[in-house]
This record gives sequence, C-alpha cells and structure tokens, in this order.
Amino acid sequence: MSEILIKNASVCDPVQGINCETMDICIKDGKIVESVSSNAKVIDAEGRLTMAGGFDGHTHSAGKINVGRFINPNDARKNPVPGLSGQVARTEKTRAQVGYNTPNTYAIGYRYAKLGYTTICEAAIPLLAARHTHEEFKEIPILDKMGLSLFGSNWQVMEYIRDKEPEKLAAYVAWGLRASRGYGIKIVNPGGGEAWGWGKNVSGLYDPVPNFDVTPAEILMSLAEVNERLKLPHSVHVHCNNLGKPGNYATTIETMKLFEKIKLSRDRQALHVTHVQFNAYAGTSWRNFETGAPMVADYVNGADHLTFDLGQVIFGPAVTMTADGPVEYANARMLHEKWSNQDVELEDASGVVPLFYSPKSFVNAVQWAIGLELALLVKDPWKVMFTTDSPNGGSFVNYPEAFTYLMSAKRREEVISGFSNMALDRMVLPGIDRELDFYELAIMTRSTQSKMYSRPEKGNLKAGSDADIAIYDIIPGQIDPSTEYVKVKKAFSGAAYTLKDGEIVVKDGEIEATPKGRIYWVNAKVPSPIDSAMQKDIDIKFRKYYTVSKANYMVEDVYLQKPVEIATEGVF
Amino acid sequence: MQVVKLFLKEANKIPIEADNINPDNFAGKTEEEIKAILVWYGNGQYPFGDFFNVEVEGRDSVENTKLVFEGDVSRVKRIGQNMSAGEIEINGNVDMHCGFGMKGGKIIINGNADSWLGCEMTDGEIILNGNASYYVGSGYRGEACGMRGGKITINGNARDYLGEHMCGGEILVKGNVGLLPAISNNGGKIVIEGNATMPANEMKSGTVIIKGEVSDLLPSYKEEGTVEVEGVIYRKFVGDVNVGGKGVLLIKRT
Ligand SMILES: [Zn+2]
Repeated sequence: MSEILIKNASVCDPVQGINCETMDICIKDGKIVESVSSNAKVIDAEGRLTMAGGFDGHTHSAGKINVGRFINPNDARKNPVPGLSGQVARTEKTRAQVGYNTPNTYAIGYRYAKLGYTTICEAAIPLLAARHTHEEFKEIPILDKMGLSLFGSNWQVMEYIRDKEPEKLAAYVAWGLRASRGYGIKIVNPGGGEAWGWGKNVSGLYDPVPNFDVTPAEILMSLAEVNERLKLPHSVHVHCNNLGKPGNYATTIETMKLFEKIKLSRDRQALHVTHVQFNAYAGTSWRNFETGAPMVADYVNGADHLTFDLGQVIFGPAVTMTADGPVEYANARMLHEKWSNQDVELEDASGVVPLFYSPKSFVNAVQWAIGLELALLVKDPWKVMFTTDSPNGGSFVNYPEAFTYLMSAKRREEVISGFSNMALDRMVLPGIDRELDFYELAIMTRSTQSKMYSRPEKGNLKAGSDADIAIYDIIPGQIDPSTEYVKVKKAFSGAAYTLKDGEIVVKDGEIEATPKGRIYWVNAKVPSPIDSAMQKDIDIKFRKYYTVSKANYMVEDVYLQKPVEIATEGVF
Repeated sequence: MQVVKLFLKEANKIPIEADNINPDNFAGKTEEEIKAILVWYGNGQYPFGDFFNVEVEGRDSVENTKLVFEGDVSRVKRIGQNMSAGEIEINGNVDMHCGFGMKGGKIIINGNADSWLGCEMTDGEIILNGNASYYVGSGYRGEACGMRGGKITINGNARDYLGEHMCGGEILVKGNVGLLPAISNNGGKIVIEGNATMPANEMKSGTVIIKGEVSDLLPSYKEEGTVEVEGVIYRKFVGDVNVGGKGVLLIKRT
C-alpha cells in the first residue's frame, strides 16, 4: 500500500467547483482518497497551483503521425521549443528523443507528462490500420490512451444507411470498435473520403456520396443514432464537411443544428465538433477570406447539445494529417508542398502535408485569431476543449504558449502587432478583452474532457478518481497572468510535479519515472442474431474486396497494454 | 598562422564522427587540448588523440588556422562541419558529410570524397581534387533547401543527385556527373563540363550549364533559342514546367 499526502496545494478543480483553494490531497494505491495514515509520504506543494492531470481529447499521436515521420525526416532535428523538442540523448530514465511535430513515441509520452498531461485521445484510427495505432500506443510511456475509430466514409456503414438497416449498422459499429479497440465514433468529412476515391469531394450536407446514394447529413444522423443506441461513452466526434474552405462556417452551423434533435441515452453532449478553427471561415475565396468565429460562437452560445475543440494555430512549422483526403490534396497543390495520400480500402482516405504558419501571411494570421476568438467568444468554457489538433495547427508542446494567449490580452496584443492591416480587418480578436483565469483554463484542459468522454475518474481530484495530478510552479493570487505571461508559460512548460496513478513521473520539469499507461476501449453489446446477420454481410466484403481476412483484421488482446474495457449494453 | 598536422594512427573500420574537428574548435589550442577533444566512435565518445597523432605549429585565430590531414581518412565523417573560417587540407580520401553546413573558410581535398560533400553549406569554398560520390551540395533529408551559398569545385567526376534542393551558391564539375543533377533546385548555379543524365528535374529556379553530352533530356523543358556565354553557344531551355519552374538549363550546342 503506497500513500501520499500532498500538503498546501492550491487546488483548481472545476468538476468539484473548487477554485484555487488551499487544501491537502490524499492518495492511496493510485487513487485519490479522503484520508491517509501518518505513514504517507508528504509532498509539500507550498501553495502552488494544483490541477488534475491534463487530458488532450484530440491529438494525432499514434498511427497517421508515422506517415508524418516518413515524409519529414528533417523534423527529427527541429528544436523550436527547447526542452520540449529536438534531439535529446537517452538518460538513465528516458530513451533518446527526436523531433518536434512528429516526435518519436517515447518523446510524446515524456513531453505530455512534462506539461502535466496524463491522458490523450488519438483522434483518428482507421479500422484497417488499428493494429499499428496500438503498436505505437504501447511505446508511448506514462500516458493513458484511447482512440476514436473512423466510420464516416465506410462502405458497410453507407450501405446499411442506404438500405435502412439501423440495427445492423449499430452491430457493425460495435464490431468495428471491437476490431480496432476504439473508444468512439469519429466522422471525418462524412462521405468525402469515399468521394475522394473518385477524385471528387462532397460539397455539403446534402451532396450525395458517389455510388452510395446517401448524403453526409444521413451519415451523421445515422451514426449519431447508433451512438445513442449503443450508449457509447463519447458522442460522435465530427470533422465537418468543407474543412479549410472560405465560407465553411455555414456548413459547420448547419451540421451543429442537425444534432439538436438527437435524443440522448447518456448524460453527455450529442455532438463534439472538432478543430472548429479550420471550419469557421467566412468569405467566398482566399481573397476575401475572413473570420466566421463570431457566427459560430453565437450559435454555440445558444445551444446546449454540443462541445467543440479549437484546433488553435501556432506560428511555425506544422504537419497536417487527416482522413480528409481531398483537403490534403488541395493543401499540397496550394502550398507546393510534399503530399502523402492513402486509400484505406473500403473505409476512408488519408493524407499528410507539412506546412508553415507565418504571422506575415494574412490567411495564417486570421486562422490564428479564429481559434482564440472561438475560445473567448463562447461564454461557457464547459463547451470548449483546448487543442491545437496536434500537430495540424502546431505541436502540443506549444500548449503553454497558447495558454498565455488565452490568459493575457496584452500577450495577444504583442502578437497581433506583427500582423498586416489586411489581416486585422478580417478578424475580431483585437476587440476582445476577455482573459481566462486558471479555473477556466482547467475546464478547457481537463474538466470538459472528463465529462465529454464520460470518464468520471479523469480530469478531477474527487475522492475515488485516478491520482493523476499536476502541480505547477505558480502561486495563484501572487501572479497576474495578464502581465506575467512569461512566468505562466514557464510554469506550464515543465510541471513541478506530475503524478500518474499516484506515482511521481515528473519532478521540477524532468522525467522521474516512466510507468506504462492504460488503453481504454469500448465493448458495446449487441444481440447475437443481429450480430450474426451483420457478420454475413461483412464476410462478403472481406471475401470480395479487402486485402486482409477478417481473422487477421481484429486487434488481438496481446496488443493492448493494461486494457480497460468499457462495456455498454445496446438498446435493440 | 597556426598549422595543425593530423596523422591517423591506424586505419579504422568503424567511422569516427569528426563533427567538431574544424578550425573553429582548434584555433588557439595546444596539442594536448586538441587531443583531448571528444569524438564519437561507434556508440561511445573518445579523445581525438586516441585516433590521431597531432602536431601543432604556432597559435593563431580561427581565420589563420589550418588543419592538415596527412593520409587517408576515408572512415572519418563530418570533417569541417559548420566551420566558419580557416582552412582544412585533406591529403587522401575523406568520408561522408565533409564540410556539412560550412559557413566560411576553405577545404581542399586531395583525394576522393564520399557522399553529401558540402551539404547545406552557406558560404566558403570546397575544392575537391578527385571524384565525389552522391548528393554533393544537397539538403538534409526532407529539407527544402540544400546548399545556399559558397562554392564547390570538383576537378573529377561526381555521382547522382549533384546539388539536390540547392537554393544558392555555385558548383563546378570538371568531369562527368551521374543521374539527376540539380534535382528540385530552387536557385544557385551549377556548371558541368562533362556529361550529365536527366538534369534539372523539378528545378524551380537557378542556372544549370552543361558543356558535355546530355542523356535523357526531360520533355518538361521549353526550348527558347540560343545564348552565348563566354564565347560558347548554348541551347537555352526553361523549366521544369511540371513545377511551374523558371530555371534556366543551358546545353552546349553541338
Ligand atoms: Zn485532428
């Protein structure tokens, strides 16, 4: 039995409504408890800011990131954020690290832990390539992991929708989650991945997918109904149609509105819309491109059925990676950049393109502003998850830098002063003076995630929760984040302590221990007659089309390190 | 003037990574200090003096420091990496990455050079009195820019991918080159006095002059008459149109 007592912690835990109150935290056997014995090891937090471990609910850290590594071998030597990027020789406790946007697996674990993060959700697992994702998960130390499986351009999904077979559709999704050991339903540019197989895209919610006679709106609604039928812990996680195109804010709001009618089977949102920065563009071309964030924020402020994340842009090199094949083709063409394109057989598309966000580019400057506008114009932080869609908007190692943008109007002003007048005309950020406090920041980086992924033991410091804890070298009340943003950035860049399941994994910004993390996956139960009927249909798919057999398709138990099976009972 | 003479004690099979063996790191140092410099050998670091006998004459600034490798150093990599001034003379063959990221000064090689000679150099000069291998003056894998400045003169032949991703500076080859010289170039000047195969593929800008024979000239170049350079008439081609390139490829009229 191991016990720890964290004394004099200035606790910021929005799930319990605790806003920087000095208190003690007791830990026993990796969980937070009410009290410990006098034998407990004592950590004196000395009044420093203490939060639950951070939870990145949308990151590309296992799977597709490997294609990014292939096409950017030069990323291995990039070091724009010393201490959190670049080449680091192995030590007694850590393996060698390389890279910035596409670091090696070990570096991903170490660097998130240094930021005080303890859980990540990989945003896109192609079912067919799931084994590779899990192989990478296995080699990412410290962090607990989960991943979202792609269903939005899948032949079997679209056929069941077309043929009005909602029960078989649910059975297929349950099987797909089991096959890929996924946690939830990811939908990327619904229908667009299939259209891309024909060199096309879908242009909006009611544009039918070639050869399937279903629309993106039907795909979204059908999968949302499946999500509720199977009582999945997360909602559908949607990357909207028309991503990256001027004028796409209208598609985004239209998509959000569709979900107003979804009847929930669990206490969580009906919809999560991801990296909305890339989907909140107004204008009709890149010439008259401008922010659409006020319109999106306005809708979100009046809605209570959804959450979203930012996809904040960080200036400098980034690597876009997405199942949205046509978007990556457009990026590569527009930027004359390297391009990787992949066809995921019957399931989806995929692409990777490196790029560089420059404050001198008016488009990039406006993109940067849109992410912050969304965060600051949406009044309720419980609807917002902070992300950079790492590494699409920029690497997660820049989170501390981005926190200073959210907490300090003065810091934003500093960055904005480098923008062209044209850029300033196209954004509303300079007129926004809201500054987040530590409480709101904790909501966007931990508490929202706990609720939206239905992980009550994560993202909070309640008794019974996992003892995943970050202590930052900041004394709330003695610091003014709106002017002392340099200190804020430094503190969030290397936690004084990060605890994972009650074990000290980071001390004074350096890695202390590298335990293995858990893998969460969802096993949704489906009545066996429906499952058998569905299996007959996919057997045909495997026989006729897939390059692998069904037996070789399933991710076996041996690939899962410390698996946690989340069982749900479907309603049929 | 400071002259440092270096004699390899015994031919090595495992390469020595001499990335800190340059005038910047030798200037003003005594024999003992130079011998104590650590270099990577396999997976460990060892004093430079374990591998080389060192003779130092004089003591001077970086600009006035000259390193002389006496004999073959064909398993010593990265000699002159990042050097900013001074001179290195190599009297023998040299391993990969010689003069990588060079910022100034001069390297003279009286022998052959292995691949990646003068990669990403920004200034200074390399004179190779022998043959070069692959990727002379090119970029680190994945980078958009290789050599950006300075000059490389090769008095022998060079193999494939000469000046890949070159963005500036000048390369002169007196002999023949292999496949795809000037591939993906975006600036700079390459003069090849001998023969070349499939030159200037995906060149965006820059100048490539070929005085010998060209095999497999790419169809993605537009011919625009002739030009005269220093009394020689060349056929002028512009491209590579596949990448909207405005590069100039001059091939001696026969
Ligand atoms: Zn993403």
